[in-house]
Amino acid sequence: MCVFSRFAKITPCLALLALTALWHVSARAFDLLGGDVQLHGFASMALVNTSDNNFFGRSDDQISNDFSEVGVNASWRLTPIVQLSAELLSRRAGNTDDGGVRLDYGLLDWTALSSEEGRGGLRVGRIKTAYGLYNTTRDVPFTRPSIILPQSIYFERTRNLTVSADGAELYIERYGEAGTLSASFAYGQPQTDTDAAKIALVGLHRPGSLDSKMAPDFQVIYEGSGGRYRLGFTALRLDLKYQPGYGDILQAGRFKLTPLIFSAQYHAENWSLTSEYARRRTSVEDFGPYFYNGTFNGQSYYVQGTYRLAPQWEALLRYDAYYADQNDRDGKKFAAATHLPGFTRFAKDWTVGLRFDVTPQFMLRVETHRVDGTGFLATQDNPRTQDLRRYWDNFMLQASFRF
Amino acid sequence: MEKIPAIKYVTSLLLMLVVGLLGSSLPIPDVYAQALEPAMVVIANPATSEDTIPRASLRAIMGMRLQRWPADAPVKVFVLGDDAPEHATFSKSVLQVFPHQLRMAWDRQVFSGQGQYPEHVSSTQEMLAKVASTPGAIGYVKASEVNQNVRVLKIR
Repeated sequence: MCVFSRFAKITPCLALLALTALWHVSARAFDLLGGDVQLHGFASMALVNTSDNNFFGRSDDQISNDFSEVGVNASWRLTPIVQLSAELLSRRAGNTDDGGVRLDYGLLDWTALSSEEGRGGLRVGRIKTAYGLYNTTRDVPFTRPSIILPQSIYFERTRNLTVSADGAELYIERYGEAGTLSASFAYGQPQTDTDAAKIALVGLHRPGSLDSKMAPDFQVIYEGSGGRYRLGFTALRLDLKYQPGYGDILQAGRFKLTPLIFSAQYHAENWSLTSEYARRRTSVEDFGPYFYNGTFNGQSYYVQGTYRLAPQWEALLRYDAYYADQNDRDGKKFAAATHLPGFTRFAKDWTVGLRFDVTPQFMLRVETHRVDGTGFLATQDNPRTQDLRRYWDNFMLQASFRF
Repeated sequence: MEKIPAIKYVTSLLLMLVVGLLGSSLPIPDVYAQALEPAMVVIANPATSEDTIPRASLRAIMGMRLQRWPADAPVKVFVLGDDAPEHATFSKSVLQVFPHQLRMAWDRQVFSGQGQYPEHVSSTQEMLAKVASTPGAIGYVKASEVNQNVRVLKIR
């Protein structure tokens, strides 16, 4: 175990070296049986320090380096209408993710219809879940606005439920003078095979298991003026069943989560404004007397501005708010019912960040968070509720490489 | 009391909208772009059947979404580097898209398994040579640098 975790720790360093070597040695695009093959990847490492509470490992008054991402992908365009692609991802994130290599996506994309005005088709396999503006590339540092995405909507602790699903996705795009309209409908099996999702929903040390039904996911995005405006809407439905284990105090309960996300983005030459608003209806039932059953309407939103100070420098300012139950924003009712602190039911996060693109392949980032509430913290990193503090700061540094 | 965050949210959205509208209604940068920078044209392999292309379709092609010409031939996109002045001028004045938006659109597709990057060329000479010799090729050069081996596509 120790050997494994030590190996996991040096994996990103090795990967960085390997990627650098690859970048210098080989061509990243070549022909295979008349089709174009492209290889790409990324690796990142981060340092995290918090004033209280733990985020991505033991960060409370110390520096944690337990957050890293390494991904390698290949795409093969066999014909103009068929593309095969797959990505392997290794991610370490405190006690929520151990760096084990897994298939992030692996799919066949068939563009059945294509004309000057639009295209439509089908994707089959393991498909990234369309969820807000950032989810499909959430683990790729270069595509994010900050080191961590706004946690109110892109939770790290329940990420496995929405990261990708095994199934099929229909998509259609229309390119008009007024703008581009894209819509997709996916139906697939979310990933519940890791402990991370289970612990986030039912807590630590539960002997049972969580299974998900096939989940429908719908997204529509409108891009006006060549993409200066982007407006989006996402609806997802998750239905999870808990199978109690031996000697379990919980009964066979059920979670139904229905997040709806409204997204808006505006790009100018040197700045961008982004905002997303989510309503999350969560129904928790049949877990028995030792669990917080009920139906809650969660609410999340963030407003984010980025400004390109110079070609290689970008600054970020964001306010991000999360409420587990909009009828109990301060968590008082929850505290009265469970004797747990009310501040675990919300989180309000002010973020200031800076991005420096040293070269197009190498990026450095720094950001600081001032947070009120612990609503998005992972139980695995913060097992003792009595150690949680309502007000905390989070300081992060990240180096990322891609090819 | 409970309404306050919702009101705050709506207010900030409205602010965004106002700032956005103000920003987009300022015509100065575009005027300067057209006055000071050389005119860029879209070029294609001479074997392609098209003479004109709608701007929206061109955006979809350069954004690596649309992969086929109407006559069913595969499209092959060539671009200069993100920091090449010609790339910036072409993006802004012809596509009417900022180069960082194109980069973001490519990244999003490549890292979710939905698309590929365009092929990079390092000079105008290489652009002209590749577009002339690759079936289905599309690219861009300054209007003054067009030669007889490539076809100019007009925006309709």
